[in-house]
Amino acid sequence: MELLKKYPKLFQWLFLLFVFLALCFAIDVPETYKFIRGQAEFVKDPNQSTYTLFGKEVRYYAFDVLWRLPPLLGWLPIWINDFLFFLLNEWMPMEFWNEDTQEYKTRPLVLQITRNITASMTFLIELIREILLGGVKTVVSFTSWDWIDKNPWAELPGLPWTIVVAGGAILGYKLSGKGLAIFAGLVLIYISVFGQWKPSMQTLSFILVAAPLSFIFGLTLGIMAYKSKRVEKALYPILLVMQTMPQYAVLTPAMVLFGIGDHSAVIITMVVAIPPMILLTLLGLRAVPSEVIEAGKMSGCNNFQLMTKVLIPTARRDILIGVNQVIMVCFSMAVIAAFIGAKGLGWNLLLALNQLNIGLALEAGLCISLIAILLDKMSLAWANKQEDYFGNLTFFQRYKNSLFFAASVLIGIILAYAGSFFFKDSFNYLSEIPHNKGISFADFWNRGVDWIWDTFFQTLKIFNTWLITEVLQPMRALYLRMPAVATLVLVVGAGYIIGGIRSAFTVGGLALFIALSPWWDRALVTTYMATFGVVASCIIGSIVGTLCQQNKYTTNFMLGVCDIFQTFPSFVYLIPVMMLFGITDTSVLIAVIVYATIPATRYTIEGLRSVPPALHDAATMSGVTKLQRLFKIEFPLAFPHMMLGLNQTIVFALFMVIIGAFIGTEDLGQYILKALSDKKGAGKGLVLGICVAFIGLIFDNLIRTWVEKRKKHLGID
Amino acid sequence: MLQEKYLAKLRELPEPVRQFGGLVTITVIVILSFAILNIFWGGGDELVRKMKLEEERIAKEKELSKLISSLPSGILVPYEGTKGHKLSEEQHEAVCNATEIVSQRSVMGANLTNFKAKHIYTINGNDIKETFVKWDKEKNKCFAGFTVTGSNVGVNETITVTGEVLSFFNTGIDTRVYFIKNF
Repeated sequence: MELLKKYPKLFQWLFLLFVFLALCFAIDVPETYKFIRGQAEFVKDPNQSTYTLFGKEVRYYAFDVLWRLPPLLGWLPIWINDFLFFLLNEWMPMEFWNEDTQEYKTRPLVLQITRNITASMTFLIELIREILLGGVKTVVSFTSWDWIDKNPWAELPGLPWTIVVAGGAILGYKLSGKGLAIFAGLVLIYISVFGQWKPSMQTLSFILVAAPLSFIFGLTLGIMAYKSKRVEKALYPILLVMQTMPQYAVLTPAMVLFGIGDHSAVIITMVVAIPPMILLTLLGLRAVPSEVIEAGKMSGCNNFQLMTKVLIPTARRDILIGVNQVIMVCFSMAVIAAFIGAKGLGWNLLLALNQLNIGLALEAGLCISLIAILLDKMSLAWANKQEDYFGNLTFFQRYKNSLFFAASVLIGIILAYAGSFFFKDSFNYLSEIPHNKGISFADFWNRGVDWIWDTFFQTLKIFNTWLITEVLQPMRALYLRMPAVATLVLVVGAGYIIGGIRSAFTVGGLALFIALSPWWDRALVTTYMATFGVVASCIIGSIVGTLCQQNKYTTNFMLGVCDIFQTFPSFVYLIPVMMLFGITDTSVLIAVIVYATIPATRYTIEGLRSVPPALHDAATMSGVTKLQRLFKIEFPLAFPHMMLGLNQTIVFALFMVIIGAFIGTEDLGQYILKALSDKKGAGKGLVLGICVAFIGLIFDNLIRTWVEKRKKHLGID
Repeated sequence: MLQEKYLAKLRELPEPVRQFGGLVTITVIVILSFAILNIFWGGGDELVRKMKLEEERIAKEKELSKLISSLPSGILVPYEGTKGHKLSEEQHEAVCNATEIVSQRSVMGANLTNFKAKHIYTINGNDIKETFVKWDKEKNKCFAGFTVTGSNVGVNETITVTGEVLSFFNTGIDTRVYFIKNF
């Protein structure tokens, strides 16, 4: 009893582990169990058991419930599909005026709304696309094809690349000085010279629609949540799930509602980009000191004035960081949205990966990454920029950037005009370098890939085989060998030990949802892959982070590297690993490790940095060695912060595992990908996405609760 | 009163003991819930039996597909002749058991010697109700047939045509009845 009182948690963990292992050994694998045998396929088989709920028949292979729970939530995807079908085709038919046929037409309300949204989005995308690249559709939408035939001058000419390069450089200079200006100029020149101008501008056009709209909606909802507790409570679960929901999963329902194409991509991007904007708006508004609010009220501000003149300007930095996040999410969606027909760099990257043309994929991936880094730097510079309200500037000093831009527009137009004479018989390279006419190193990279394969084939194969047969397969078998009851006991028990009864119910409920879905086995495979990635990432991240943290320069360098890597869209990570390891599970896992190592490294560095310097001095004066200080003082104090990094690492790993389905894994991601090409895949895609989100939320809940308690215990918070 | 007394006693227990008790209780609750669910939803022996049957069927299918792939593509016959590959007795039986499809060609051929069947088959849009292929153990021969059903001048009629299978066609994926001798 004394021991129990002295080490209560240790005993609890030991008891839990004992029960878990006892259950694992006591419950045999049923004779009939084979991995994912039609369980999630909804195939017809006379051996399947069936039940009917809410009018939906669910077929499944019944096992001992202690081993696998029956998919009692199997009706949910079917019900969602039917619900969407009902909404789109039957609910509230109304008469709408059709401009083309000049008569009233009966259509269900939701279908009409989605079609109107689709039309507006398409118009906005085309407008921006034609400003950047030229075209006639926008003018035609206000006039007619006959009119444009008679007035060819009205065709939008498109911006010459020279103007965009100059504009980017000037904007970079205005926001952050010479460094950013040079970087912006070089990035935009690279894009033009390498013939990626058109796809880049296509990508940019849908981002230029999605990002401002996400900002507006996110800001509005953030303000509403700040103002009303009810709105906040209603938004909270959605925000929580959206944080860990794989972006893939949103594609299918959106596809059903809005069809495929750029407009759909914009809507999906908005769905994914709005939650971080809401969170950062809320965070910024909450951080406004009460004194500032009081001062505003005392100055006689009404509610609207208080919000627009006091709260928003004070929370400007957080809100602008929200803008930065929105832009980053938009870029990460550029490739994923290509799955539903968004044109641009993402589409090219996807096509290149599909053809296993690594060289082309690398070029497109590099372009996306460079634009993402550029916009990240620009938006951060904007967030950190301080307005000089008191400078006594001359007209030229005040408007020099605008004047330079006006001059560059003029020069750009003259150059493009001159180019039309100079390159009379071919393409006007001073206006736009066509996609296949730029410089390309694709062949060089492809030859490089061939060389790697020719030279290191045996070594890579040995490593691949070893990793798959000796590490991954046994680990997978181990996860699949866990009976459902043992897993639930482990999850609920861990929740209870870490956060008490409330936490136990929360994580238990989330795990139960997955266990009752038809995809429990797949969820176990997803968890196994994510776990492997997380363990490896944490080891690498904590070692690299600790080593770098020893020196100021290496710390800054590593944080810079993390910043850059974090801006890469997740798909880009697949390119180099596919170069090295081909289409295997190893590729996915290495991509997971690389991607998830970023937060692990960052949070290790930041955790160690958060240790007060006074404690360093105290430790040094007490005569401890560097290693003792690290292990006895710095790590214990930095551990809560590092655990938050673990949280991020898990989310990153889960995202990458799901994306890895593109090159063939057997997890939930594969089913999400399948749902994309399924006519009735909306429900499946959504429920699968929720399952992934819940895996993330289980870990999130456990880690956050532990961190809060630990911080309280250490007196850090 | 008694309840309050026990509750008070429980509250007096040290925190670690209470927490441990809570963990044990919650673990037992989870396991019990599963045990109760098992009564309603467990698969049981019936599933094992069904699955074994399924396993047997799959194993048989695999064996047959192995046999099919070992035979040459094209026409297979159970007799010595100039056309087609001759099947041994075992092969003949195995192929007969593996065959499920009665080709349209063999149906039309068999109909040539059965005027009524041909008539019903033609006026009802070449509709075949049912086909079958079976091995006759006594005669050591393979028999196949089909049933045509339909309206014949306002009267519903059903005719079953049966005959010995004298040749099969191996597509490389499956085998089909190629010729039914029904005269």
